[in-house]
Amino acid sequence: MKNKITWGVVILMIASAAALFAGGNGESGQDADMVPKAKILIAAQGSEPDQLDPHMTSAYASFQVLENVYDTLVQPGADLSMEPALAESWDISSDNLTWTFKLRDGVKFHNGRELVADDVVYSFERIIAEGLNNWRFGAVETITAPDDSTVVITLKQPSPNLLVSIAGFKGMAIIPKEIVEDGTIGTAPVGTGPFRFVSRSPDEGIILEKNPDYWRADEGLPKLDGVQFLQIPDAGTKLTALRTGEVHWIDTVPPQDIEALAGESGITVGRVPGGDYHYFALNQMRTPFDDVRVRQALATAINREEIAEAAQFGAATANQTAIPASNAAWYLDYAPYKTGDVEKAKELLDQAGVSDLSVDFLVTSDFPETVTQAQVIAAQLAPIGVNVEITDVDFSTWLDMESNGEFDAFMLSWIGNIDPDDFYYAQHHSAGGFNFQGYSNPEVDSLLEAARVETDQAARKELYDQAAALIVDDASYIYLYNPDNINAWRDEVKGYSTRGDNAVRFEETTLE
Amino acid sequence: MSDSAATGKLAPKPESRAKETLKALFANRLAVAGLVVLVLLIFVGIFGKAIAPYGINEINIADRLKPPSAAHWFGTDDLGRDVLSRVVVAARVSLQVGFIAVGFSLVVGVPIGLVAGYFRKGIDSLLMRMMDILFSFPAILLAIAILAVLGPGLGNAMIAIGLVYTPIFARITRGSVLVVSEEVYIRAARSLGARDVRLIFRHILPNVLAPIIVQTTLSLAFAILSEAALSFLGLGVQPPNPAWGRMLSEGRNFFKQAPWMGIFPGVAILLTVMAFNFIGDGLRDALDPKQKSVIESRGRSA
Amino acid sequence: MHGFLIKRLLQMLLALIGVSIVVFALMHIVPGDPVRVALGTRFDQELYDSLRQRLGLDRPLVEQYFSWLRGALSGDLGVSFRNGQPVTALILERLPATMTLAFAALLIALLVAIPAGIISAVKSGTALDYTVSAASQVGISMPDFWAGVMYILLFSLALGWLPSSGFTPISESFTGWLSHLILPALTVGLISGSIITRFVRSAVLEALNQDYVLTARSKGLSEWQIVRRHVLPNAWIPIVTVVGLQLGFLLGGVVVVEVIFAWPGLGRLALIAVKDRDFTVLQGAVLYIAFMFLLINLVVDIVYAFLDPRVRVS
Repeated sequence: MKNKITWGVVILMIASAAALFAGGNGESGQDADMVPKAKILIAAQGSEPDQLDPHMTSAYASFQVLENVYDTLVQPGADLSMEPALAESWDISSDNLTWTFKLRDGVKFHNGRELVADDVVYSFERIIAEGLNNWRFGAVETITAPDDSTVVITLKQPSPNLLVSIAGFKGMAIIPKEIVEDGTIGTAPVGTGPFRFVSRSPDEGIILEKNPDYWRADEGLPKLDGVQFLQIPDAGTKLTALRTGEVHWIDTVPPQDIEALAGESGITVGRVPGGDYHYFALNQMRTPFDDVRVRQALATAINREEIAEAAQFGAATANQTAIPASNAAWYLDYAPYKTGDVEKAKELLDQAGVSDLSVDFLVTSDFPETVTQAQVIAAQLAPIGVNVEITDVDFSTWLDMESNGEFDAFMLSWIGNIDPDDFYYAQHHSAGGFNFQGYSNPEVDSLLEAARVETDQAARKELYDQAAALIVDDASYIYLYNPDNINAWRDEVKGYSTRGDNAVRFEETTLE
Repeated sequence: MSDSAATGKLAPKPESRAKETLKALFANRLAVAGLVVLVLLIFVGIFGKAIAPYGINEINIADRLKPPSAAHWFGTDDLGRDVLSRVVVAARVSLQVGFIAVGFSLVVGVPIGLVAGYFRKGIDSLLMRMMDILFSFPAILLAIAILAVLGPGLGNAMIAIGLVYTPIFARITRGSVLVVSEEVYIRAARSLGARDVRLIFRHILPNVLAPIIVQTTLSLAFAILSEAALSFLGLGVQPPNPAWGRMLSEGRNFFKQAPWMGIFPGVAILLTVMAFNFIGDGLRDALDPKQKSVIESRGRSA
Repeated sequence: MHGFLIKRLLQMLLALIGVSIVVFALMHIVPGDPVRVALGTRFDQELYDSLRQRLGLDRPLVEQYFSWLRGALSGDLGVSFRNGQPVTALILERLPATMTLAFAALLIALLVAIPAGIISAVKSGTALDYTVSAASQVGISMPDFWAGVMYILLFSLALGWLPSSGFTPISESFTGWLSHLILPALTVGLISGSIITRFVRSAVLEALNQDYVLTARSKGLSEWQIVRRHVLPNAWIPIVTVVGLQLGFLLGGVVVVEVIFAWPGLGRLALIAVKDRDFTVLQGAVLYIAFMFLLINLVVDIVYAFLDPRVRVS
């Protein structure tokens, strides 16, 4: 009798399970296994986008998608210099305080409505009022639309990097006010870009389809019929999915697998030097880290090449400054610290009267390279008598502790930097918004402020060079390396290239 | 069994009962093997740092991801560190986590289960609902909360893991107690006015031991592995201090390049689990006189 | 029976409210909050304050909780801070994947564990017993993140038989659904199965040593007849308990496997909610998980009474 109950229970479970799925959601969309008749690129991203409102999200995963849905007024080209996008051309007044943009004609939003200058005004004003990137508009005085295809921006002071500030990435996208008013902007973006948003679900990820009215349609763009962004959080599984052909493109490759992957037939690895940089910063609001000699001691005792090799397996370039050599316009070749100089480091610590120093590094497993790097640094600092403790917490806790000054040193990276102001101002100006290490050097402040408004390129570079040298000498940040930007895709994917700013653009991509 | 019917020298004295149990345990070859392994592990745990050939953070990038060799018996990891040394030193932490976390959940969970299953009614509902509440929390949330309130550290990690497993022990104990307390002799004893505490500890507990022992050995493995998950959040040992669970987790990222990074800590965990399982099985058999006689009647020491 | 059910349902409601209070409290004890996470490293105090206000996070905690509770009681679990979608929709979207995996894994587990545990106990002390025991111990010691990765490397990459990740609803394609389901279900199911095997073995062993079995043997019944007729009916309680626990655990979402196989289940939703301090989503997810546990425990208690009439839990 009891046996019958057992079997009854088992059958009931199977039956109810089957019942659940039979009535399941019959969402349309592509099954990744079926050979698509339409050319749909399946792109795998390693983390989950949060909301899709370009002004209000800071998640890189969201921007991978939004890059293809929205446009900005101008945009960084392949070489990262600013080129026309929604604005065809622009003029700068002789006093450098008025910029006049002429908008392209016939650009349509995905909802059919034509783009007008008021949309630009609306978008920018929204960012200034409540967007995450409002600080980028710090120099902007007014934004007006004298007619439907002209936007005029007046500034409080000259701003040579205005274009990068207001259009460096899709955080400053031009949006139609309708979708803000009906509250759908976070879940159903509507832009002017090559692809329009179709759906989002946990099973199928985010699906975009070709925008037939794209303003480059006359060039036959976009070539793809659609893009499907799948979220595959595990790096190993993501790589496997590329190898089996289940996905066409992946956003990152674990550094230790790059070499093997590049040699595999059927797969292309895209690799370019990037504008990201990794660093650690000592808490200048705590003794003895307020003593520059202590900071310099650490800066010279470490071996950046070894750190880069350990964390990135060679897909990086050690750097004692922030700006990479690949950024030819702004790169400063400055390396005052001798690598692994144990003698000098000990001397500096003696001068500072410090012995038996213990440094607690705040790192996060959500960015695992910080954990690896901290361990390498621990081994590199042991010879100078410095003991490194590692505090590894989740990213939310990390952010909290960082902003509350609860650390001896914190380690992270900054991504997507193009203009030197991006690299230096907010982190090293004494009133900088992201200056969590408590650095304050009036000379650096005035250099950075002057560089912000200096319109002569050469003079501007000179100012940044001086500021950078001071920042490095003061070891406000101890810079480690610039990692390469790496994507990988199947050989059938053509017309895609990895970019220096890591923006993911499928505008010209096609599948063979 | 024999207590209530005891007269004079027919009643087995408590000491020789314990001796009997031990004899039965040692007669079990597998259990003995398990004990030997356990003693070995504890030895390694205590003297780990002394017997390890290298330090735990002797980084040597040039030498990384090398397979087992004369210089490095277990190979090197992604930072060139000696895997053998790290596995050996990790024994202490991993065993500590295992014992203490599981000990915690045993000591808290089993009594809860005993009380709930024996007294039933209101107290059963209250205790079990509390266990259900505890069980439904994502362990990560619990871990982060403990970190925030009690601070980082191995001890707090063990509390976190212990808390997570307590409801399981409570549930399993309670289930068996529900049945055993319905046995005729228990009900008879109760109606005759036998004291609850005595009944619970002398008669019920010994008869519900089997699933508890099984669960203990299971929880041990999971506790050691859980430490890895927690250390990613700031609880437990912080890098570079090694722990088997964390080494397994990191080893996964290098499975193609250096499978030994994960294999050796994995084997260490497996050995620990097996040792405990054999001891557990042996203990259970030894404590159950019926099994003992079955073994004897089959004419071999199983 | 009715009285019992009603009492239990009321207890469940109270327990659910209890859970939600504790989760709410915990979320506010831990460092970090969703606004902090949304701003990321580009933290700006003014922006932080205004966003907090806009999300209603600057209201007194008690007010925030009761406002959530009021919504929850009428079916509205609020909206995710992280991506703006309604929490109920977020959870419902992921239920099919979670349920599928849970039941498939449990099925595999039972298909493996029950025969293996019984055989191991009946043939206790033989090589067969040792093999099964050893296998189950390997199954327990091998963490899910290793097992899953190895299956993927073997069956997806090396052999190309099965897809490596993702979920296809059965309504879309039966073969797709099945092929995506096999590896994750195997990963979870074998581990679950190893656990259940040990309990089955232990319970059957104990039952085998009871007096009535000796009696049956002396009557000349074969070992298998004894197992079927006398042992199994009496070995059920610990087995049912552990199966209930496993099912509860599975229905709560198996985070690690979901991450490895990119399985769109509730475990991942809850994980991201904790990491990003998305209070409303976490409240909703934990509520669902707690409800599942309570429901399963209720069913298990009823099953206890069924299997052993002496045990009436009321």
